Amino acid sequence: MPAPAIETTSLTKRYGGRPVVQDLTFSVEPGQVYALVGPNGAGKTTVIRLVAGLAFPTSGTVRMLGSDPHEHPAIRRKLGAVVEAPAAFYPYLSGRANLRLHGRLAGGVPEERISEVLVQMELGQAAERKVGIYSLGMRQRLGVAAALLTRPEVLILDEPASGMDPLSLHLVHGVLRDAARAGTAVLLSTHHLDEVVAYCSHVGILEEGVLIDQVDLGERRARYRATVSDVHEARLALQVQPWVREVSVRGRDVVFTLEGEAAIERVAATIVGAGVSLSSLGSDVFDLRSYYRERVESQRGRGQRVDVDDEGARLGRDGVGATRVVERRPAPAVTEEEPRS
Amino acid sequence: MSALLRMEFAKLGRLTSVRFSVVVLAVFPALWAYAPGIFDVYGFFLVSGFQVPALSLLSSMEFLLPLLIAITCAELLGLEIVHGTLPTVLLRPVTRSQWLLAKVIVASVYPFLALAFFLLASLAAGAFYGYGPFVGGTGLGREGLLGAGLMEPGLAITEVVRAYFMAALALVPIGLLAILFSVLFMNAAGGALATLAMLIFMQLLIVFPGIEPYLLTTQLSAYVQPAASLGWVVALIAVYCAAFAAVSVVIFERKDF
Repeated sequence: MPAPAIETTSLTKRYGGRPVVQDLTFSVEPGQVYALVGPNGAGKTTVIRLVAGLAFPTSGTVRMLGSDPHEHPAIRRKLGAVVEAPAAFYPYLSGRANLRLHGRLAGGVPEERISEVLVQMELGQAAERKVGIYSLGMRQRLGVAAALLTRPEVLILDEPASGMDPLSLHLVHGVLRDAARAGTAVLLSTHHLDEVVAYCSHVGILEEGVLIDQVDLGERRARYRATVSDVHEARLALQVQPWVREVSVRGRDVVFTLEGEAAIERVAATIVGAGVSLSSLGSDVFDLRSYYRERVESQRGRGQRVDVDDEGARLGRDGVGATRVVERRPAPAVTEEEPRS
Repeated sequence: MSALLRMEFAKLGRLTSVRFSVVVLAVFPALWAYAPGIFDVYGFFLVSGFQVPALSLLSSMEFLLPLLIAITCAELLGLEIVHGTLPTVLLRPVTRSQWLLAKVIVASVYPFLALAFFLLASLAAGAFYGYGPFVGGTGLGREGLLGAGLMEPGLAITEVVRAYFMAALALVPIGLLAILFSVLFMNAAGGALATLAMLIFMQLLIVFPGIEPYLLTTQLSAYVQPAASLGWVVALIAVYCAAFAAVSVVIFERKDF
């Protein structure tokens, strides 16, 4: 089995005895887009820098494509990264000259590839202009272009949305999604939960350096909820089915994950067949904004409010599934079957 | 490594401190060559263009040149920090030591480039006095400015070039000390000022005769020493350079960015 593109084990970083990242274990597989979210000072940038090999862990390990990036710097040939916001370049050089310089440091990149990434990031017209006069968003796009230059197997981006207008943001989302489809592992940090929902496959929630939760957004999209008369009977009926996974009870609802697209059609028959009344059946809408708020507040201890970006994301507007108990109930799920008496 | 070196030398020309130094080193000899108070202060008149380089060097080696070299070498690293390009470069498949060694090499070559320019500017400033045979000395040989008798141009230029070469060599460890302090403080100003503070501190240590011959600042006047004693000076400078470079690399290798 090939090694994960990124793998951390019990990663810990202390500054002056104060823990900034604690016992962090996670992995990013090829083709995944993993977002680190968390309040300011949660340790996102430190994690990004530890994984990219810019900072040294106090304890624990980081592996990139199976190798320690400190011990094997050559592995960075397969890495593309933006770790500064805005992306840092020599201001007295043009965008193209900066990319040439990056190419040289990476061991050589053809001029055609440089032109290709500049056009891809819609910087073709500005390629010969000095970076010093670039806008914040243009610098960020040039940063992504530099990261893509060597067709990396691993992409690491710290706040890629910083300073970008909606069109640039859409462009970058598309580029990263395409990179992931082509098998690149993407790790990014962000404050924007809508960005996470837009194209990430996994999200890790950091609070005070601790990874308090990881969510497989792909799996959440396959999660459903049934409101029934007897949750325990319904649960028993469902959990023995081979096409059902992770059955749990939430109030009057049974929440479960389905294997395969057609399985939803069998759910109603199974529940009713067990002598249980079914009131509603639909996708379990995952409200990432509420989930994030609840998880962070829970970690801090009740009573502290967590501010979430107003754009706060809502996974499942289009009917994708989700899980768990939240105090603020998500919007009603789409009812696929009328209640039976 | 050659790509890194080319990059670093290209960056050198972009540094503000280098441009500033070019102006200072171009203007300074002209000021000395035509200063009206030379006789009052030093008790002699300039009689040859070969004496201007001596005046330039004598008046700048104690403070001005070390300061200019320290500022530029500190800026070599400091500017990367200001632009935020340091992490960007370190994300590429070059080792930290390779990258810093490229800076160290540039910092080691820079004093020679600066002093070569300073020499040319000094010779140009002395054009008014001519470059023919003259009675006196270049000020950079054993006989000083007055006692060498008839000085042929060939001998004069040899003395001047040798002195400038030795002066540049003595400035190399100062540049590397500036790099070391930049690595420690992670900014250009801190690197340059700490180097200056260290030089002032060393100059104060002359009250300890036992260690005075080994001080970095003592070597700054090596360019007027007889050739026979230069072997020791060169060896000492090499030790300083190796130590400063090694400590810089060791610290840089363990830095978090």
